[in-house]
Amino acid sequence: MEEVTRRSFFGKAIAAIAGMIALGWGIPLLGYALLPAFRRRRESWSEAGPVDKLEVDRPKELEMVLSLKNGWMETHSVQSIWAFRKPDGEVVVYSPICPHLGCAYRWVDAEHVFHCPCHGSVFALSGKVLAGPAPRPLDTLPEKVENGRLYVLYEEFKTGIPRKEVI
Amino acid sequence: MRRLFRWLSDRLNLGPLLHHLLDEPIPGGASWIYVFGSVTLFLFVQQAVTGTFLAFYYAPTPDHAYDSIKFIQQGVPFGALIRGIHHWGASAMMIAIGLHMLQVYLYGAYKPPREPMWLVGVFLLILTLTFGFTGYLLPWDQTAYWATQVGINIIGTVPWIGGALAKIARVGSDLNALTLSRFFALHTLILPWLIVALIAAHLFILRRVGAAGPWEEARAERFSEPFYPKQVFIDAVAMGAVFLGVAGAALLSPAPLTDRANPADATFRPVPEWYFLFFYQLLKYTKGAWETAATFVLPLLFFGLLFALPFLGRNRERAPARRPIAIGIGALFLVFVFTLLGTALKQTAAIPVTDPAVERGRALYAKLGCAGCHRIHGVGAEVGPDLSYVGDQRDRAWLIAHFKDPQKMSPGSIMPAFHLPEPELEDLTAYMLSLKKG
Repeated sequence: MEEVTRRSFFGKAIAAIAGMIALGWGIPLLGYALLPAFRRRRESWSEAGPVDKLEVDRPKELEMVLSLKNGWMETHSVQSIWAFRKPDGEVVVYSPICPHLGCAYRWVDAEHVFHCPCHGSVFALSGKVLAGPAPRPLDTLPEKVENGRLYVLYEEFKTGIPRKEVI
Repeated sequence: MRRLFRWLSDRLNLGPLLHHLLDEPIPGGASWIYVFGSVTLFLFVQQAVTGTFLAFYYAPTPDHAYDSIKFIQQGVPFGALIRGIHHWGASAMMIAIGLHMLQVYLYGAYKPPREPMWLVGVFLLILTLTFGFTGYLLPWDQTAYWATQVGINIIGTVPWIGGALAKIARVGSDLNALTLSRFFALHTLILPWLIVALIAAHLFILRRVGAAGPWEEARAERFSEPFYPKQVFIDAVAMGAVFLGVAGAALLSPAPLTDRANPADATFRPVPEWYFLFFYQLLKYTKGAWETAATFVLPLLFFGLLFALPFLGRNRERAPARRPIAIGIGALFLVFVFTLLGTALKQTAAIPVTDPAVERGRALYAKLGCAGCHRIHGVGAEVGPDLSYVGDQRDRAWLIAHFKDPQKMSPGSIMPAFHLPEPELEDLTAYMLSLKKG
């Protein structure tokens, strides 16, 4: 009987130490491997050129350089946006991605609408859906004007849902 | 849990296997002196686990290696802890192996019939040292770069084929991108397979030949107890303590990361890891032909002796008291290594730690474009005076006055006044004063 309790004491002590080491390894390793995946990408404002190049009620496709920090690497990519000025001078910037399924849409000057070639969604200048399967209006992007230059905070949104939700 | 285990054990017939693994007799009974092998194995597993996870974010190219390590250190949750465990774990493994070998040596456990286990063990030692050497380069910081430079040059002193060996290790005549990816492949892909195979062989031989037990055969035969539970318990306590020690070291003292590797920086003083320090110290005392003796002949003799050890002499006596020559030589070796290590540590401690002001001044020197006119150790233009040893030629007051108004201090100078704010002036002066001979 005495031998049995001694054996079970050792067994429990060994299990406790093994458990401590397993947790001591497991928690940091899981956090290390998984947490960086859920970190919000920190975007920064990108410059999209002089604001007086924008036309009133006539969208233009502008290109700008995005700086993205992926872990230890900073990458630069070129991204296009649609921008115009309202008659009152307010600047409107649209994400170039169709909110339906992510195609690139175009401005059709003759019809004064945006047209997405993939599934035929049509949007008004105000972004409103005029026709087709798009579940929500075009996505506006945060913008600001400083010293006569347009700055845009580039973001991407989930496609195919009625709500505008940042990825 | 218990029912799940019983079900699995029943289906897979685990009973005899567990009996074989756990009921191995320990001659003379369980003891704390036998923990070093288990602790080494534990540390190896810990290195394998942490190393695998470090590879999640590490990039083995000179462009990105340093930044990726910095990211692990600063940007990834638990990154500093995991790199710290890997760093201090390597040191702990060296200590564990040293103690394990000392115990085996003291107990005469390398003697017949355990020669094969000893031989495999010496190969494991060599593999572990190679792990240390190849891993050290991977952060691509100053210490990594210069220590590897020295290490490969030591390989280069091997007679006849040294030059070729050094070229193979470097993939060319200087440290470059190919060296880094080669060391990475060795450290993470090739060496792990080799060491796992040899560890398996080491353990296989242990189970075939059996543990040696106490050096008094009579005591070994009188009493023995199974491996489980007491020896397993003792091993587990030792492993738990070592885990806490290494994790504690990682938390209290983060793994070092010096500046990014800079082949042009001649002011950097590389010091190897402590387990190579005694050897580094030895190389300070040797010159000419003696240098080759120290870099090549001595290590060759040392490992040759280790391999030959079980076959030297016919005395099968294991008690230290009856092996005066072996114990004497072993003691002499320890005195030799620890004297060198001690001297090296004392001299390393005597190296003045770089003043952060000097580093800021160095950055300022680069930012202001001083190298457009001045030269330091061959880098920069020769319009103005060479500043390699300016610290020997000018004092603080002169330098500060000169930065404020160059023409006042050296008439006719074309150096512009930079109008630096006071702290930057101090930093730049600190850097100038650090440029001295020796």
